Amino acid sequence: MGYFEHIFYGFQVLLDINNLAACAIGVLIGTLVGVLPGIGPIGAVAILLPATFKASATSSLILLTGVIYGAMYGGSTTSILINIPGEAASVVTCLDGYQMARKGRAGPALGIAAWGSFIAGTFSVILLMFVANPLAKMALSFGPPEYFSIMCCGVVMLTFLARGSTLKAIMMALVGLIIGSVGLDLISLSPRLTLGLQELEDGVGMIPVAIGLFGVAEILENIDQSMATKDIFKTKIGGLWPSLEDWAASKWAIARGTVIGFFCGIIPGGGGLLSSFASYGVEKKMSKHPEKFGTGVIEGVAAPESANNAAVGGSLVPLLSLGIPTNATLALLYAALVIHGVHPGPFFISSNPNVFWAFVASMYLGNVLLLVLNLPLIGLWVQILKIPYRMLLPLIALFCIIGVYGVSSSSFDLLVMVVFGAFGYLMRKFGYEAAPLILACVLGPMAETAFRQSMILSRGSMMIFVTSPISAVALGIAFLLLFSTVLPAVKKRVMKYREFEE
Amino acid sequence: MRAHDIGSSLFWLVFSVLVCMSSIWLGIGSLHQPSAGLWSFGASALLGILSLGLFIQAFLKPKAIRTESTHAPNLPSKVILVLVSMALYAKFMQTIGYLLASFLLTGFLFWLAGVRKWWSILLLAFLSAFVSYLVFSVWLNCQFPRGLFGF
Repeated sequence: MGYFEHIFYGFQVLLDINNLAACAIGVLIGTLVGVLPGIGPIGAVAILLPATFKASATSSLILLTGVIYGAMYGGSTTSILINIPGEAASVVTCLDGYQMARKGRAGPALGIAAWGSFIAGTFSVILLMFVANPLAKMALSFGPPEYFSIMCCGVVMLTFLARGSTLKAIMMALVGLIIGSVGLDLISLSPRLTLGLQELEDGVGMIPVAIGLFGVAEILENIDQSMATKDIFKTKIGGLWPSLEDWAASKWAIARGTVIGFFCGIIPGGGGLLSSFASYGVEKKMSKHPEKFGTGVIEGVAAPESANNAAVGGSLVPLLSLGIPTNATLALLYAALVIHGVHPGPFFISSNPNVFWAFVASMYLGNVLLLVLNLPLIGLWVQILKIPYRMLLPLIALFCIIGVYGVSSSSFDLLVMVVFGAFGYLMRKFGYEAAPLILACVLGPMAETAFRQSMILSRGSMMIFVTSPISAVALGIAFLLLFSTVLPAVKKRVMKYREFEE
Repeated sequence: MRAHDIGSSLFWLVFSVLVCMSSIWLGIGSLHQPSAGLWSFGASALLGILSLGLFIQAFLKPKAIRTESTHAPNLPSKVILVLVSMALYAKFMQTIGYLLASFLLTGFLFWLAGVRKWWSILLLAFLSAFVSYLVFSVWLNCQFPRGLFGF
């Protein structure tokens, strides 16, 4: 059977009422989860996991994946309207989206986020369908040095994109690496930096750290500002259809975001966060007016929103064809499939064509549903967000708690969330950014394993990182990025010195 | 920001020294045979160097005259109250159960957020706790602790 017969078969399976309902409910819950700050797709998938036990494997996969890409879509709404990312991948959308809203252009920002998500989501499904096997084979050929270098490149890229001091961003990335190394050492199984606490032997949970740094810190900051200065809900939302000028400015950003997002999704540890930052960085670098980024340019919304949706399709390639979940959310999806007796891996597609092709068809339908249902529903999401802040604050706190407790059922993780909330609040006051810390925290354990494996393979020679072309290119990019950050400062010093000499 | 940078760089310097010491205690090994402490040692050593760099950068920066506070930002009482209430929630949720703990926490947060009518606070807190329990525990089968009172 060719691709078209397969996809036709997929739509036939999808037409089952349970699968259709799963698709619609998944994208709607996902959007709601994305809209509400505090609960990310990880928490939502974790909370919904028990609810899928009664459904079939196909319906469960459709529902849970709908939640993931629905959340990517919904996250942009809060990023644009209230400067709070609904989930981590929408952090970068805050930079220009919120500024657009402040300038009274919330409508076009929301509109281009929706269209960008739709276009990128649809193309990522096509890419997933056509190139899953060759790309999976390529990713399979990566060894530890390649993984390490790509992850280094990802972290450096994030610090390079920091709004404030690059020095502080690198420091935060290093703190993230240290936090990521807490727990049992995978090789010697000795506890590291656990402060004698048994609960920390499994490491510091990513969800409490992320929700603490973003959700709780946001609550604290707004309490601190006495709610009088919070600039929310004052903008009028109208004209959701972007103008021709907006389309002209965004078309290449969407195209590049789709490609970057899809490939970042394939990289282990990549996914929505890395893809959105990477596409934003690329767009900023390629722009004729990079200085305007962060002040409310539409490309700054189109690129990351396209990328984070495309990343969902990309991240499914290694999961479905190799059985390797590349992030925590997909690990939960993997668990859900295993519970239903379906094992993702090289034989997944041939053994379960009904599940795979119905799932692919559901992603087409889900992306259409997101656009058709959610653009008209933006008013509803805004109404949810228009609840007075004093009413919203305790609810956000409750959702943060449910998000953390729903995943681990651990009171200790709630305490970790509170501690990182306080830490995140102080970080904001002292001018440090949380995003490099989060990314380094996620990539840290994987990067460490890859580094140690590389060192063992090369008998202690660092040359292993430059002998492989992929690794050398990734490290080269990382060094270039670092160099391009340092260069302007060096130039400035030289100029000052010359002026002083003259 | 100068005072903040000096303060925070010193904090990170002390933090990095402590992590370095812990890593050395764990054992660093060699590049050929890396031990458990190598990764955290490398990261903390680099953090220490960068903290020193930030300290020097901030120290050499000219002082702004009367434009900034020389003290670190104080934690406002509301921030402390939110943190303490959430920490207490985490501590006692298992004992008193999700419903009651959430009712008390949201009630307190509503009061802190400026809702002053006691019946509004009670109603909002009850609705928040009950609806979230209904959706996440009853409907979605999320496992919340029942606590001493069995709910």
